[in-house]
Amino acid sequence: MDEAGTGTVLWMTDVVKSFGGNRALCGVSLGINRGEIHALIGGNGSGKSTLLKILAGVLPADSGSLKVQDRAWNLRDFTPEAARESGLRFVHQQPTVFPSLSILDNLCINGQYSIGLMGNIRWGSTRRRVLDTMERFGIDASPNQLVGQLSPAMRTMVEIARALQGQEPGSQSVLALDEPTAALPSREVEMLLGMLQRFASQDSQAILFVTHRLEEIVQVADRVTVLRDGMDVATLNREGLSKAVLAEAIVGRPLEAFFPEPVAQHPASRPVLELDCVNGGGVRDLSIAVEAGEVLGIAGHMGSGRSTVLKLIYGATTVESGRVCLDGRELALHDPEDAIQAGIGYVPEDRLGHAVLPTMSIADNLAMVSPRDYWKGGRHQRKQEFADAAAAIKTYGIKADSPSVPMNSLSGGNQQKVVMARWLRRGPRVLLLDEPTQAVDVGARADLWRLIQDAAAHGTAVVIASSDLEELAHLCERVIVLKEGTLGIELNGASGLSEDDISHALHDLEAA
Amino acid sequence: MSSGTAKSRWPYLLEASGLPILLVLMCFFFSVLPETSASFASIDNIRITLGAQSALIVIAMAALIPLICQEYDFSVGATAGLGAVFAASAMAAGAPIIVAIAIAIVLGLVVGLVNGFLVTTAGVNSVVTTLGTATLIAGVVALKTESKSIVSGIPASLTDFISGELFGIPRGFYIAIIVTVGVWYLLRQTPWGRYLSAIGDNRQAARLLGANVKRRLLSVYLISGALAGAAGILLIGDTGTASPQIGPGYTLPAIAAAFLSVAAVQPGRFNVWGTLIAILFLGVLNSGLYLAGTNPYVNDFANGGALIIGVGLASLLGRNRSQQA
Ligand SMILES: Nc1ncnc2c1ncn2[C@@H]1O[C@H](COP(=O)(O)OP(=O)(O)OP(=O)(O)O)[C@@H](O)[C@H]1O
Ligand SMILES: [Mg+2]
Repeated sequence: MDEAGTGTVLWMTDVVKSFGGNRALCGVSLGINRGEIHALIGGNGSGKSTLLKILAGVLPADSGSLKVQDRAWNLRDFTPEAARESGLRFVHQQPTVFPSLSILDNLCINGQYSIGLMGNIRWGSTRRRVLDTMERFGIDASPNQLVGQLSPAMRTMVEIARALQGQEPGSQSVLALDEPTAALPSREVEMLLGMLQRFASQDSQAILFVTHRLEEIVQVADRVTVLRDGMDVATLNREGLSKAVLAEAIVGRPLEAFFPEPVAQHPASRPVLELDCVNGGGVRDLSIAVEAGEVLGIAGHMGSGRSTVLKLIYGATTVESGRVCLDGRELALHDPEDAIQAGIGYVPEDRLGHAVLPTMSIADNLAMVSPRDYWKGGRHQRKQEFADAAAAIKTYGIKADSPSVPMNSLSGGNQQKVVMARWLRRGPRVLLLDEPTQAVDVGARADLWRLIQDAAAHGTAVVIASSDLEELAHLCERVIVLKEGTLGIELNGASGLSEDDISHALHDLEAA
Repeated sequence: MSSGTAKSRWPYLLEASGLPILLVLMCFFFSVLPETSASFASIDNIRITLGAQSALIVIAMAALIPLICQEYDFSVGATAGLGAVFAASAMAAGAPIIVAIAIAIVLGLVVGLVNGFLVTTAGVNSVVTTLGTATLIAGVVALKTESKSIVSGIPASLTDFISGELFGIPRGFYIAIIVTVGVWYLLRQTPWGRYLSAIGDNRQAARLLGANVKRRLLSVYLISGALAGAAGILLIGDTGTASPQIGPGYTLPAIAAAFLSVAAVQPGRFNVWGTLIAILFLGVLNSGLYLAGTNPYVNDFANGGALIIGVGLASLLGRNRSQQA
């Protein structure tokens, strides 16, 4: 298809955007055709989210133009209202749902309530429509539930449902999604991708799609635009797409031994972490043991209790009965503070809600795990803290000018690296990771995997809850699969586990 | 420390020094303005102006600490009044000064305990809680004093010490500065203070980082209460009396100053030195206006305007910070 072809529904040219002295976008051009799924990929901080925010009118560009629905716009003064009127719909990387409103209200807040003759809301028919939408998007909850109480995955589905509901076939609209799958388990990912394909092929919907999961691109993308350091370096067509080609395009160099070699068996040792018939937060009668140097994986579908298990061990959810033991001694966990003092670390699933201190600096974000480390002689040792933070920025490949920049000026993937570095650089006794490589690019994912393996090699007991089966297969000797808060299947691969093993176990358990 | 590029540094410096520069300019202005030039820069006026600010500075510190964790304490002024009235009546009954000071501080701690308990354990919103306790305190004070000022029986040694001068400046002001330095140390140098910043930034994340939010908030209300109660002694020292009405009037200027601090020294953040500068700014403004012969209600305009501007700047600068580096 030629670039300005008749099928083009949206065309951005020469988009430039700087933050302070930093160029985030240096002249990016991008065209999207009717009925195509157009993937936008690139390393962390390459400018993808910035481009989407400009397209949504929430961030003004320094310069650049947009053609959509036969109208030309200057992107310097494009507004969210103009974007809406031009038929652009978004799912941003940062959640934009209203946490203190119900699912129903979130889905209807943009004028989708059915209105009666007196201008009143007709709750009955509104509710029926919402239930229908929720069913279509696999949101298994009551419409009255508050969105703030949902898991990140469910929240994402509400967000997606809100953007996609009521799409009319063949409309001129464009749907743009920024890493919608980052927090989703595989079943929901499949559902979403299937839905996107249906929209594109049956309804000729144009879709712009950002993701770091390369297999998704190979599966559904018609064309791919690659950003690197704020420039569009390549546009690839469907033919000949493979994970290796994409990875190379993102990182900018050939990657021979790209995915590090699989799991090394850890030497047998005594268990560090033991759970004995633990109940709490929907998890029931769970007993597991993790040895020093071992990496235990937790798999399961949405709502199976993976995250809750980690929260119970960390004292963030109350243990109702049963025992959590560290080195054979029972822990009294009343608050995360107790867990941290015992040497347990935790990377939560919800990065923005539960991990990031947004206006504090990178240095603060790294040090706040244990500010006492930098309290010597009655003073806060800022110099030392900065030097350590600068070293972490290097080690963990965080894209930032200095340790003093605030966390919310980093791209999503770079924030995740800071959150991981927070714990990895301390080498805790037990490390609990919930979706540890969400939102990071392929190169950084491999780096983080290596760092997790290093930590294990130094004797840390690691527990990973992940919906990325490749990640579990790659890192874990042992994977437990949860179903409705109980241990369903334990996979013990002396010779290593494969993605297929885990996905079969997930299927079997659901069928059972 | 390396902080941003040369480009992004200048607006920051301008924001940081705007209010201090304004303060200096205003001092200059009132010193040359014909109506005030004779009286404004006089030793007497400097003494009165600074002396009147000492208690306010300490009360503002009491309001600032909770503000750092996004908690609003509207009971600080009333607590200071409570401390003043009970300490004064104890002294009038013959108690030694040190006991009176202890009474003021303990009463402050009690108020802090009640506030802290209601906010952390009962989960009542801080605005509602502290407005409630402030009202209750007003009732207690009225009951204790039968709504009459305590004017006799306050030892001269106390008032002489606090309003007496050292290098032309009342000692109470030095005390307030010492308290300010102490609060700065707590907030900026100790792990406790850094946890407070984290709690203010993202409470959930702070909890998961081991900040033990409930216990820390309780300690915040205790310290805030103790400071406010102790400020009552400065109130007695400055005026030589303890009026049952005096305390609550300090709440709003104290909170206004704490809010205005986002526009000075550390732009976009509530901070100790910015609060001090804001108080001096408001003090000099009010004194200048008074000397220029304006009506007393103009001072209300100044304080109310400062609160609104402070809150406005807080949200504006906060937003700017999250949008650019
Ligand atoms: N508010 C901001 N202030 C300063 N710099 C910013 C801001 N937002 C983004 N940047 C910078 O712009 C660059 C591009 O960021 P952007 O979020 O677009 O990256 P991205 O491609 O979406 O990355 P990721 O894959 O990690 O989400 C980064 O270097 C980032 O630090
Ligand atoms: Mg992004």
